[in-house]
Amino acid sequence: MPEAATGSIYDLGYQRYAGVRLGRRHAIWALYVHSLRGVFGIGRSLGSKVGPIGLAVIALLPAIIQLGSASIAPEDVEFVRPEEYYDLIQIVLVLFCAVVAPDLLGRDQRTKTLSLYFSRALRREDYALAKFAALVTGMLAITIVPQVMMFIGNGLADDFGDHLQDNWTDLPSILGSAVELSCLVSGIGLLIAAQTPRRAYSTVGILAAFVLTSAVGAGVFEATDRNAGRWALLLSPLHLVQGLTRWFFDVAPEPGSELALADLPGETYAIAAAAIACMTLALLLRRYRKIPA
Amino acid sequence: MDCADSNRTPNTGRTPDLSLIRTVGLTKRYVKVTALDSLDLELEPGIIGLVGANGAGKSTFIKLLLGLLAPTSGSGEVMGFDILRQGPELRQFVGYMPEHECLPTDISATEFVSHMAQISGLPRPAARERTAETLRHVGLFEERYREMRGYSAGMKQRVKLAQALVHDPRLVLLDEPTIGLDPEGRDEMLRLIRRIGAEFGIAVIVSSHLLSEIERICDHLVEIEDGRLVRSEPMAALTALTRILAIEVDGDNAPLAERLRRSGVTVNSSGRLLLVRKDDDALLDLVRDSVVDLELGLVRLEQSRRRLEELFGSQPALKEDESSSA
Repeated sequence: MPEAATGSIYDLGYQRYAGVRLGRRHAIWALYVHSLRGVFGIGRSLGSKVGPIGLAVIALLPAIIQLGSASIAPEDVEFVRPEEYYDLIQIVLVLFCAVVAPDLLGRDQRTKTLSLYFSRALRREDYALAKFAALVTGMLAITIVPQVMMFIGNGLADDFGDHLQDNWTDLPSILGSAVELSCLVSGIGLLIAAQTPRRAYSTVGILAAFVLTSAVGAGVFEATDRNAGRWALLLSPLHLVQGLTRWFFDVAPEPGSELALADLPGETYAIAAAAIACMTLALLLRRYRKIPA
Repeated sequence: MDCADSNRTPNTGRTPDLSLIRTVGLTKRYVKVTALDSLDLELEPGIIGLVGANGAGKSTFIKLLLGLLAPTSGSGEVMGFDILRQGPELRQFVGYMPEHECLPTDISATEFVSHMAQISGLPRPAARERTAETLRHVGLFEERYREMRGYSAGMKQRVKLAQALVHDPRLVLLDEPTIGLDPEGRDEMLRLIRRIGAEFGIAVIVSSHLLSEIERICDHLVEIEDGRLVRSEPMAALTALTRILAIEVDGDNAPLAERLRRSGVTVNSSGRLLLVRKDDDALLDLVRDSVVDLELGLVRLEQSRRRLEELFGSQPALKEDESSSA
């Protein structure tokens, strides 16, 4: 770039940049990596690590207990089955989202850093997508990892080759359910967090979105005619998670449970969850097209 | 399309037929107010000052160029990129320093600026290298490894400037960069901006509500009031000789004023000075002859230099001159 150098002949310090400029795709990737580090508080103070990492460890606990018991008594102990795993840690998943999502989106709104992002090599929607991808990845880490730990652990307690042969179909089920669950929970969490820079509000809002809908869905189901009321369960993300996981693992809900009583086809939950995830993502993108910066 | 031509070299305005900025009918209307009203503007690279009162539309103009706001109507190009359709490509080559605070508190300046360089499209190693260099240029040293929450107003302004410069843009847009600085910090910031334009070879658009700042560092002035373009002129034209002649005599100047008026000359009295419009050189002879006839001592006879502040001030003689020469 010879013409660019003319301005700096007498300047001993300033160097022009003649290297590559990688453009929008690189910008999105860089934002994704930065945000993913932020999900676990990496590169931040100790205080910002405690919440997400603590919750991630708790999410792993059932798997660790299962592995421990399997190593002591390999034959007869099945502490938790894979399709029931998220029932055990669902509140941890919701808390993780409620802690992380407000941080991912609220921080840049609070400090008005958004205008610096939007005046760079990306589009407003790219920003929202990178944040979404970062939270989904973070959630995958706390859903897939324990499932895979259990899968491998159970295999090692047994004969691994046999275990793999008998149970390999669990692997796509683990992957599919974890991806859908993560997209659903992340979409809801980020959509709420995008509405306000105030951390406390969005945390409470996210908790309410999961806990209240679950209570209301179950209440409506109880109180009304089952045939009509069972559809109310589809408005509760936590019921959707239970339903879609069982559908992915091709297992019937436990007799007597709400899902068993509702007796909806398994794919209904997966479809409803996918629809809600897509809708929240679309609304999130719309919000970022309009958010002032 | 965005990535395919992301390595396209921007038009830096050095090609004669292409300008740095060109807007046609650029308009931003809100429900109740028109923030920018049909702005037609063509600017060449340089250090361009953007003046106007608070709320005149300076920030709106800058945000429209960056694509932070969508225009209600009209169009614009910056360095040959369409501001509506080629935002991400254009913004690889543009730096922006907002008027408001915009820094996160819980990471260090080094980490933040290097992150921002990557968001502008620089690979990670280059981003890190240029961050160190840029922070040095803006005068931030050991502090750069500390979290930014403890930074003074001056340090924050430096980081804001650094993030606008780190990716070696061809154009920086600085919105009220001296706001909140003490006089010393203000001087330093202005010197730095002058260097960016004059030595680093980066085109600068700097907004200020203080004319004196613009006068010190810019070579082109754009004035916006109430969303309308008032003027866009090279600074030299604005500080050039005016047609105002300043006359100072030893003694009472009233008789001289009277005599000049009788000869058909517009005279304004400004304390010890008489200000008259010099339409042709014959006036000089008339003044000389009158002074001699009245037996006054001529202390000063000079063509006054129009300073910017006067232009925007309320001196009647100059106002009159301005309107007739416009």
